[in-house]
Amino acid sequence: MVTTKYRTLIDALLSAPAERPFVTAWIDEDEQETATFGEFRRRARVQALLLKESGVSVGDRVVLIMPQGIPLMTTFVGAMLLGAVPAILAYPNFKVEPSKYRFGLAGVTANLQAKAVVIDNEFPDDLLEHVTLGDARLIRAAEAGVAGGEAELPNPGNEPDSLAFIQHSAGTTGLQKGVALTHAAVLRHLEHLSAVLKIDEMRDIVYSWLPLYHDMGLIACFILPMVCHLHVVMQSPLDWVMHPDTMLQIFTDYKCTLAWLPNFTYQFVPRRTPRERWGNYDMSSARALINCSEPVRASSMNEFYGAFALCGLKRSALQSSYAMAENVFAVTQSGIGGKFGPEVIWADGQRFRAEHFIETVLEGSPGAVSFTSSGQLLPNNRVQIVSDSGEILQSGYAGEIAIKSDSLFQGYYNRPDLTEKAIRDGWYYSGDLGFYLDGELYVVGRKKDLLIIGGENIYPQDIEEVVCSHPAIHDGRAIALGVFNPDLGTEDIVVVAEVEKEELLQQADDIEREIRGNVVANMGVAVRTIFLKPPKWIVKSTAGKAARSTTCQKLLAEHPELAVES
Amino acid sequence: MTPEAQQMIDQVVKLVRKPGLQIDENTPLVSSGLIDSMALVDLLLKLEDITHLRIPAGKVQPKDMNTVALMFATAQRVGKPRK
Repeated sequence: MVTTKYRTLIDALLSAPAERPFVTAWIDEDEQETATFGEFRRRARVQALLLKESGVSVGDRVVLIMPQGIPLMTTFVGAMLLGAVPAILAYPNFKVEPSKYRFGLAGVTANLQAKAVVIDNEFPDDLLEHVTLGDARLIRAAEAGVAGGEAELPNPGNEPDSLAFIQHSAGTTGLQKGVALTHAAVLRHLEHLSAVLKIDEMRDIVYSWLPLYHDMGLIACFILPMVCHLHVVMQSPLDWVMHPDTMLQIFTDYKCTLAWLPNFTYQFVPRRTPRERWGNYDMSSARALINCSEPVRASSMNEFYGAFALCGLKRSALQSSYAMAENVFAVTQSGIGGKFGPEVIWADGQRFRAEHFIETVLEGSPGAVSFTSSGQLLPNNRVQIVSDSGEILQSGYAGEIAIKSDSLFQGYYNRPDLTEKAIRDGWYYSGDLGFYLDGELYVVGRKKDLLIIGGENIYPQDIEEVVCSHPAIHDGRAIALGVFNPDLGTEDIVVVAEVEKEELLQQADDIEREIRGNVVANMGVAVRTIFLKPPKWIVKSTAGKAARSTTCQKLLAEHPELAVES
Repeated sequence: MTPEAQQMIDQVVKLVRKPGLQIDENTPLVSSGLIDSMALVDLLLKLEDITHLRIPAGKVQPKDMNTVALMFATAQRVGKPRK
């Protein structure tokens, strides 16, 4: 067992130097607000006192629904100061349907049996109508300017094994999966992570646009800086989506060194930043831009590097990681032991699909598929690759990734049914597919996404990559689905893809023919139907990924002929 | 109607992709399902362009973008002048 430097997360925060900057909330070029560790602690105590007056005490679950920013973070810590257990939910925004939002809110509050729901003063009233909060009390968070907080709070007796907070698993079903974590588990995890990242509190500055209700935003960009006493500069995900080049500006202005980014960011930023401005930024301070939360694509990272090498971006800054809420955060991290970056390998496509086996071949061999690693295991983390029949597979075979570590969660909060499915014999079955080769973990997709075409396993991501390689298709905006064909008794592949520009739809016949040809040539399987759609048709999740199941439902609604009984 | 409102309406018509659609400043767009939430990002960017304001996206809800008239009111309410 690892001995951590602090007993609890609160101890870690209290030992930070008062004058050191902790959080900078970046609103725009003209407006930024920075709280030092000392100011942050004072404001957290103000929120704690408010929660205490509202009846919140040790062990109570507290749901926080506030915009990204310092008040949300101080309220989170304020709840922990009382020994209560905070959980952050997504703040409503113009991209989320109100009805869907109310449904999610009611479900989470009931499952957590929350004592309180904390909102800000601008929370839209119409979203609170029709929501049953159960026994939870609605509290408005204290305004930033409220005085007080100098007084010490009574020590609630936080112990290493007390619950510190609950984070929700990513994905559309994630809201049912509250992952409750103890102070000790989080601290053990951060001990490993900060060691492999070689965190230096005097040098490292974290940049983030990641929402705090996801593990990547919460652990890597809030709790890690809090425990390691780092400065973090953050902006709201929505502001970033509107103006993705602001990320480059923030790196330039603050000399940030670390960021965690989902794969699509590496394409989105260069494509949305006018080419004539590519040279205007300074990315030389970045020492690790960690590709995390989607299968890692070397091509995306190359695109980012190609655009911003001019600004001093170092090749060695492009790194990767495999992470999940259930393990607190990271399972693997590339660059450990002085490696240059994630490994990229090429494998025989036929053997991979037919046997789930990785036979490495030379780059660019006919029919070869490429994989980019998510790095090497963190200390005290183990993985097993398991076949559908539950057998443990050897190195080089792809199967479901199962994880064991000293920071693994104990179960989903109040959901023994989901826990039983996910944890077996102390191993967490992630539902992700991957393989382990020469000390590197490669994640290739989600188990439930696997298409089985005539007995051959097809990863939809591979078809999507081929489809997106066509110049008329918007990169990252294609989805391959398996649709049961009762005549053949197997699934057929259906592809839905967005064209770059609407006018291209006039050449749909030619484009479809070329895509079909490309898929057959690369994958050896034929696509039954290709639906070309105008830009913005494919549904994206809040994390910006193409939302497979929602897009599938949308497609079926528009094309009911596809919905046959399987 | 102001030329700015007309520009915004032209942009909406482009995004709904429904040939021959007639809309005015008060046509409901979000609540009627004519515009989906993804298209709202583009509309906000256009609104920033037309009004020369910076609009903090976090302060905007779907109902604030339901009609072209509401979009301009929202821009005035939450927008900040750009340098």
